[in-house]
Amino acid sequence: MPFGGVDIGSTMTKAVIIDGQGKMMASVIGPTGAEHRHLALAVMDQTIEKTNLSFDQLDFIVATGYGRINVPFADKQITEITCHARGIRALFPTARIIIDIGGQDSKGIKLDAEGKVMNFIMNDKCAAGTGRFLEVIAETLGIKLTEIGELSLKAKGYVRISNTCTVFAEHEVTTRLTEGATIPEILAGLHEAFAGRVVNMVRSLGIEKDMVVTGGGAMNIGLIKAIEEKVGFPVRVPPEPLLTGAFGAALMGKDLLARGITPERERRLEGVTFFK
Amino acid sequence: MSDDQEYYAGIDIGSAFIKAVLIDQKQIVAYEIFSSGGSYNETAKRVLDQALSKGRASLDQLSGIVVTGIGAESAPFQARQFSDISCQAAGCRSLFPSARIVIDIGGQFTRAIKLTPQGRVANFLMSEKCATGSGRFLQVIARILQIKIEDIGLLSLKSQSPVEFSTNCAVFAESETISRIAEGARLEDILAGVHHALAAKVAMLVKRLKMEQDVVLTGGGGEDAGLVSAVGEALGVDVLVPQQPRLTAALGAAMLAKEEKPKTR
Repeated sequence: MPFGGVDIGSTMTKAVIIDGQGKMMASVIGPTGAEHRHLALAVMDQTIEKTNLSFDQLDFIVATGYGRINVPFADKQITEITCHARGIRALFPTARIIIDIGGQDSKGIKLDAEGKVMNFIMNDKCAAGTGRFLEVIAETLGIKLTEIGELSLKAKGYVRISNTCTVFAEHEVTTRLTEGATIPEILAGLHEAFAGRVVNMVRSLGIEKDMVVTGGGAMNIGLIKAIEEKVGFPVRVPPEPLLTGAFGAALMGKDLLARGITPERERRLEGVTFFK
Repeated sequence: MSDDQEYYAGIDIGSAFIKAVLIDQKQIVAYEIFSSGGSYNETAKRVLDQALSKGRASLDQLSGIVVTGIGAESAPFQARQFSDISCQAAGCRSLFPSARIVIDIGGQFTRAIKLTPQGRVANFLMSEKCATGSGRFLQVIARILQIKIEDIGLLSLKSQSPVEFSTNCAVFAESETISRIAEGARLEDILAGVHHALAAKVAMLVKRLKMEQDVVLTGGGGEDAGLVSAVGEALGVDVLVPQQPRLTAALGAAMLAKEEKPKTR
């Protein structure tokens, strides 16, 4: 009884297949392109290939993420808030706050003791609170996004970045460099500023000690440390932070089937129009 | 020109440009504008020297100097300082006595100033937190489109159906621009979309001050005909624009040097 989950994020598309026990069998991560539906299919195909299964053998396929409407082969679309909550609670059964730092948005989700979503908050209006902020600055500094976390930990202190706006911060960073600040100090300053924004966002939900950080941002150890500094306690990070949404989507399919709900219509692999 | 002619100079030391305006009792005599460069101090001196020489005047003939702008502290000569708000208001008021709202759209931020019917500063607001509220937004998009900033105004006016951006963030608008180009959107429609988004932000600032007429648009943004038209549309009025929008603060500084001249010399 395998289940599929596909999460079309603004930057990355992720697919996960789980078995009947909810264990992850395979996963694939690919960049989100302009042509969502082809890409979702390609990523799902690759994931299926890894398991030696076929499309028809998946009992349920659930799509999530901001591009979920463009997944013609999905049996159901479920919001990423619900899917993240489901995926995270499977990994961390006591989690009460989830921070998801994505490429073009960030979210805070509050769960009750049973794992039900009580409230959530989202920033997709301004790049400053999203992964995009770090991506832009890393590019300005000529450093790979995957390296800035470790690099920032080498700093003894940090350079305060006073501009919120990514565009202005980009300029501020180059000014600080010419003033003699080191790259690790600047990166530490960026993480400090970024963590402050994310934690402030979550503060409006009410901070709880069982906190999980997920999404691409969770792969940045410097950012995680900065968030821990802001909240004053350790946070937890899933082993594969990019996959929690897709993993949760697959689990939602398993839950649906357990409640006797089966896919309503035939899966379409082609011919779906864009929402526009 | 007689030797006892009295001159006044206003110098606006900005982060991008340093401007000087020289006036006499009646009119503008000369002006100069240079890129600020690495040393405000040196450039300010050169700008003033140049303006004086254009006006065939000497430093001794100056009855008053006022400096303003971000670098006012580094002025290399004895001068009084006034805030850029006061100078901008004084400059625009001298050109347009009916002005009640002055909008200064610069490269880094936008200011809206409200004037009393007598021309005094009643209130002002700044948009400095977000690039979308300033000329920087235009620079970001112009770079993507590979268009010179001075060309975007006229191009934008040709637009038939401006692009509507789904975002108010300059960084996200940058990626949206790239997708729109891929979809075949016309340059003028993208630019007009940027002008509309920026004008909406500016209009919000003005509405918080409570709109009054007349409205003057100055600063670098005043040189962009597409932006001027979009701001006018957003506010529902015809916007007045100085001939030299970059110089109004320096002009105001010179006016203040004249008006607020110490009684004794």
